[in-house]
Amino acid sequence: MKNIFRICIIFLFLYFFSASEGYAAGDMCFSCHSDMGSAPAGLFKNDIHHLAGLSCSDCHGGDNKSEDMDEAMDKKKGFIGIPKGNQISDICSRCHSDASFISKYNKHLSTDQLTLLKNSVHGKLSLNGTDRIVQCITCHNAHGIVSVKNSQSPVYPTNIPQTCNKCHGNAAFMKSYNPEIAVDQLQKYRTSEHGILNAKGDPKPAQCVSCHGSHNILSAKDVRSSVYATNIPKTCSTCHSNKQYMEQYGIPTDQYDKYIASAHGKALLEKDDLSAPTCNNCHGNHGAVPPGITSISKVCGTCHVLNADLFSGSPHKQVFDEKNYPECVTCHGKHDIASVTDNLLGTGAGAVCSKCHSQSENVKGYLVAAQMKQWLDSLTNRENLASSLIFEAEQKGMEVEEEKFELRSIHQAKIETRTIVHSFNKDKFKEVVDKGFASSKDVIASAQGAIDEYYFRRIGLGVSVLIISFLIVILFFYIRKIEKQNPLKD
Amino acid sequence: MKKQFLKLYSWVDDRVQFEDLIKFFSKKYVPVHRHSIWYYFGGVSVFLFIIQVVTGILLLFYYKGSADLAYESIQFIMSKVQFGWLVRSIHAWSANLFIFSLFIHMFSVYFEKSYRKPREMTWFSGMLMLFLALFFGFSGYLLPWNQLAFFATKVGTDIAGAIPVIGEPIKIFLRGGDDVTGATLSRFFGFHVALLPGIFTILLGLHLILVQRQGMSEPLETKESKMVPLKKMPFFPNFFLRDLLLWLLVLNLLAVLAVFFPAELGLKADLFGVAPAGIKPEWYFLFMFQTLKYFPSHIVLFEGEIVGILLFSIAGILWLLVPFWDRKSSRGQRNLKINYLGIFAVIFIIVLTTLGWLS
Repeated sequence: MKNIFRICIIFLFLYFFSASEGYAAGDMCFSCHSDMGSAPAGLFKNDIHHLAGLSCSDCHGGDNKSEDMDEAMDKKKGFIGIPKGNQISDICSRCHSDASFISKYNKHLSTDQLTLLKNSVHGKLSLNGTDRIVQCITCHNAHGIVSVKNSQSPVYPTNIPQTCNKCHGNAAFMKSYNPEIAVDQLQKYRTSEHGILNAKGDPKPAQCVSCHGSHNILSAKDVRSSVYATNIPKTCSTCHSNKQYMEQYGIPTDQYDKYIASAHGKALLEKDDLSAPTCNNCHGNHGAVPPGITSISKVCGTCHVLNADLFSGSPHKQVFDEKNYPECVTCHGKHDIASVTDNLLGTGAGAVCSKCHSQSENVKGYLVAAQMKQWLDSLTNRENLASSLIFEAEQKGMEVEEEKFELRSIHQAKIETRTIVHSFNKDKFKEVVDKGFASSKDVIASAQGAIDEYYFRRIGLGVSVLIISFLIVILFFYIRKIEKQNPLKD
Repeated sequence: MKKQFLKLYSWVDDRVQFEDLIKFFSKKYVPVHRHSIWYYFGGVSVFLFIIQVVTGILLLFYYKGSADLAYESIQFIMSKVQFGWLVRSIHAWSANLFIFSLFIHMFSVYFEKSYRKPREMTWFSGMLMLFLALFFGFSGYLLPWNQLAFFATKVGTDIAGAIPVIGEPIKIFLRGGDDVTGATLSRFFGFHVALLPGIFTILLGLHLILVQRQGMSEPLETKESKMVPLKKMPFFPNFFLRDLLLWLLVLNLLAVLAVFFPAELGLKADLFGVAPAGIKPEWYFLFMFQTLKYFPSHIVLFEGEIVGILLFSIAGILWLLVPFWDRKSSRGQRNLKINYLGIFAVIFIIVLTTLGWLS
């Protein structure tokens, strides 16, 4: 029994020993190149493919059993040497696009990488007209490939920014494809919350592929891209609306829900207005951070230029800075910015001015807000009056195209009040309102004139018909008279 | 005052001999019978033509005949020019009444057989004026350069272009190119304010001279029945005053129509726009337009539309030549076939126009 046990131990030892040395012993390519101290062979030693039993010849061709170098690397035996261009990805896809083969190793591994790559911006671009600018090895390396879950992998989340930067940070290289493209993404990324955490080794914060995708990267101008303007809110919400995922960071997860209900969200997502801001327009994209309190008006001011300028020169700027109020956000909110209405101004229930100004507190502002609102209401009433008079004149069949055009001037003045209000200056506000009042005076007079003209026409018609009818009657009796005096003859 | 007026009258009379003219008209008599009412439609047509000329001249003061300015100039006339709306509306309504009156006048002459010898030339000149009036309407319709006018002209000239052999050159000539453009507007403007009025005035002069020379035609039946001699009415002042009375009635009607149904302007023509749904020509072309719709796409070897246009052309020529093939009437005999044909034409026009209007 003891002997049998010894024999078994020796047998198992021999079996494992022969098995572990089997590749080296059986794969002559690896054996020789390792002996030669070749760097690729050195890297290949720990390559996931090598560990799974693949040989150099599986990619490079040739006979890995032959000890004769010429025979092993004979082209007749399929030796191709170093694969070039698209040949590289085609070799990878021989196995990685074969679902039945790959499932033997990893049932969850997808097999559409090459298809996605071919349709991606990296697959469509080419310098020589045939070869894609990116092959599998560009990101995954060639001989030292490890699992993407391995922190040594160039496509492990914390390594991805650096991997992408190999090309995207190289201005000389990138300008061959697109001279306009920025090459400072990594630099910006490292200033972002995402980048800072990523640099600390946290794999969860977004890095390049989190937003752009991996094999299927499309141009940001492509409507199918995950970073196309209308898709960005959804892309960001993948993480930011996931309570469980975001839990450890202690930030809200309702931004997406608020955004889609906001004026900006509706403009972008419902009206397809690409000028409306999405997440990255305020937070930045590669350098994404929440804007600081003092820089909010600058961020909003990239679009709302006049409002920001007026605010910066207004008395509110200093007070807000002193009290640490987040400028625009104080009155308008942030992700849930609602469409502006006249009721935001004034001292009524929905007025934002009332947050700080009341009859007992900050009274001067209270009075100014009340006065501004009164003027604005007055302008609105005049606009409504002009509009109804034009409608009435039109209903009466009068030509009022010019008045309809002029009506826009009143509305334009109203829109301008929404800008000038950010100066919080009563006189400047009055100046704009007066422009609207002047236009409304002309339009109302003109539309009323058209209605008066309508009645004048009818009165004129009545008088004309009366005169003509009178002439007809006179003529009728005159004819009767002359024919009575001189009867018709045969 | 009266003395001064008589002095002035006498001064003018010495030079132009009014007395002769008054004597001439006083000696002119108009037969009085149960169909006398139809005599007045010639006068009404002349009156409406005069209104057309006067209002047309007034519109010319402001109208600009180019694709860029035509629509805006009409807009200006309608909204800014004092009584511009009235002048344009009267011009548009009197155009319609003018054609309506011409149709009545033409059919009354036809049914009375007044075209018979010696009045063949009067009939021809009248028929030519009717055709010119239709062209007046067609050319004038485009001038506001609005959507409806643009597409109606496109359809109208397309129909003209469908005539075999001569259709295409006619279409190109009318349009001033392959398509309806600003060039079409320019030449339609030229036709409407210069060419057509010139020819029409000459024909009208000829027509009136012939009427004066030949006098009013008496209906055939009164001649043939040898009844008691017809009563006669002096042209001046009796008939003239009745004419005047009718003109005043028409003027009243025009004023009511212009005020209650002012001419519309619609949207400016868009050369690349889509034709408005249910586009129709003016009412006087509607019966032909509607008839063409009922033609099958092909009749034997020919396109249905071409056959329809040819049939209308032949019918028009036969109608024009009626004094030559209605020999019986010329001989003073009753020709009922002419009446039946006329009744058929009137019913056909009314029914097809109504169908076109309702469709």
